[in-house]
Amino acid sequence: MFLDLTEEQKLIQGTARDFAKAELEPVAAALDQSDDRAPLMANLKKLAELGFMGLNVKEQYGGTEAGVVAFSLAITEIARACASTAVTLSVNNMVCEVIQAVGNEEQKVKYIPKICSGEYAAGGFGLTEPGAGSDPSGMGTQAVKDGDYFVINGSKVFITSAPYAGVFVVWAVTDKDAPKGKGISCFLIEGGTPGLIIGKEEKKMGQHASATNELIFDNCRVPASAMMGKLNDGFRIAVAELTGGRIGIGSLALGVGLAAMDYATKYSTERVQFGQKISNFQALQWMIADGYTELEASRLLLMSAAWRKENGKSFAKEASMAKLFATESANRACYSAMQMLGGYGYTQDYPIERFTRDARITAIYEGTSEIQRLIISREILRNFS
Amino acid sequence: MKLLVCIKQVPDMESRFKPDASGIWYNEADLAFRMNEYDEYAVEQAVQLREKLGEGSELTVLSIGPDRVVEAIKKALAMGCDNAVHVQDTAASAKDPWQIASIIAGYAKDKSFDVIFTGMQSQDRGSAQVGVTVAELLGVACTTTIVGFAYDNGVITAKRELEGGIKGAVTLNTPALVTCQLGLNVPRYPTLPNIMKAKKKEITAIPAADLTTSESLAATTSFHPPAKKGGGIVLEGDVGELVDKVIAILKDKTAVLR
Repeated sequence: MFLDLTEEQKLIQGTARDFAKAELEPVAAALDQSDDRAPLMANLKKLAELGFMGLNVKEQYGGTEAGVVAFSLAITEIARACASTAVTLSVNNMVCEVIQAVGNEEQKVKYIPKICSGEYAAGGFGLTEPGAGSDPSGMGTQAVKDGDYFVINGSKVFITSAPYAGVFVVWAVTDKDAPKGKGISCFLIEGGTPGLIIGKEEKKMGQHASATNELIFDNCRVPASAMMGKLNDGFRIAVAELTGGRIGIGSLALGVGLAAMDYATKYSTERVQFGQKISNFQALQWMIADGYTELEASRLLLMSAAWRKENGKSFAKEASMAKLFATESANRACYSAMQMLGGYGYTQDYPIERFTRDARITAIYEGTSEIQRLIISREILRNFS
Repeated sequence: MKLLVCIKQVPDMESRFKPDASGIWYNEADLAFRMNEYDEYAVEQAVQLREKLGEGSELTVLSIGPDRVVEAIKKALAMGCDNAVHVQDTAASAKDPWQIASIIAGYAKDKSFDVIFTGMQSQDRGSAQVGVTVAELLGVACTTTIVGFAYDNGVITAKRELEGGIKGAVTLNTPALVTCQLGLNVPRYPTLPNIMKAKKKEITAIPAADLTTSESLAATTSFHPPAKKGGGIVLEGDVGELVDKVIAILKDKTAVLR
């Protein structure tokens, strides 16, 4: 058994860490508080130029071909400084991977290099709907064939990066009479296509710099060639790709959790109460021990899931376990970190308040903790029946 | 043109250092290693010159040490060096600057390098002797602690940092060696595609004993970790008294009020 990283993985982690510290950390608090996304856009461009948008994508499409372990490491390091930048990166990578996995050659050549190079600031993943969240097969958006075109009507919600995404992967019902989950197809739709309207931006609790919007399809006409994969075979794709995305979100949560614990632990060795450093008190020592133990377990779960995916093994259960445990551990770490800072932790003069807000969503998006438990138990029970 | 850049892998300087079992050097277990900061400036400058010279020029990176130094070598390759030499030496940390310089000179002596770049010193040993000693052993021109570098037609124009904020301008004819200081440039991040491509670049391994057998001239006898820092100075008294104390400290310990 070999638990060490390769030299390439260490160097990629190093580039991510150095970039995050020098370029992201100094602007993260301001991005959280401001509507001005110019610094985010500039950093996304730089990250694209460094090769972070297609970590697990083939070189021929502009990717880095560095693998899933490197992807996980990079997202964690970026998230230690800025969760909003990290989620954009995670979604961009996921969009590239779904196009690579399902698209035809023409679609791959047309879109993947634009996301990898930063020509498109982002790619969008249009699955969730107001009435179809944890149960995406219940979606209502429809695509109706009209000659060589499909006409799409409906709406999507919570779409990351929508205002600046160059292309969206969108799922729509193409056979409304088919059994649930069977009549869904997948489309590639460019930003700015007539009839594709970017709706209101959500006012979120955290991850403010990353835009989250409604998408409205109002008689949006796309050529039949925009369909990705086979007709009525889109749902399977969605489920498969969400599995990979879970490694990204778990890795992001790990980064936020580590940032919170590192900050609070350092603080505890400087803050004096009752005539001594507060790190001398067992109450804080236990928070430190529990926080780091859970984060280390999260890291190992993530590495295992990433390694399995990279090596072509089944990884659905492992990815769900890693996502579930890492996101919940990160939330607990943020909670403890705020306790350690006391009242100061609750103010915006210290970053724990932002970390806490940024961490909360990780246990919800890309499949809630409850959905992860459902997947994990289903995978386990399958072996007992 | 042939260019050489010499790099060292050093521990992260924010690490906690403890003596090793012999008490002569620090314990390497649990330390995270990275490229010496000054060597990053050297690599960046060498890569910039390599890019300016274009086809027909070649940039080699050299590092001495155990297998772990290959990570630093690969970083330099990812930043733009063409090929690498790993001088294998599990006891490199026990060698003095003279021996290290002898190894580098032993490798470089028949290679006709036009320009050699090194950091101005290592962050761990900090002798600042290796670069100049290599130049002396090879019999090439040398200047140190450069913060500006230009090359044109066989002539290097360098800006040097001197004591007390004074800078000096130097011109040297190649072949020459320069040692690089903070402020020379901003090292690039190795891009991810270049990190992956660096896997295909050639790393030649040479045992250190093949390059020199010179004995140590200044042996290290013991290692002392930095004393644990106290909590700083806490001044007490009324405001007037505090101001006097602060001014006295600033006069005594710093240059700001001189």
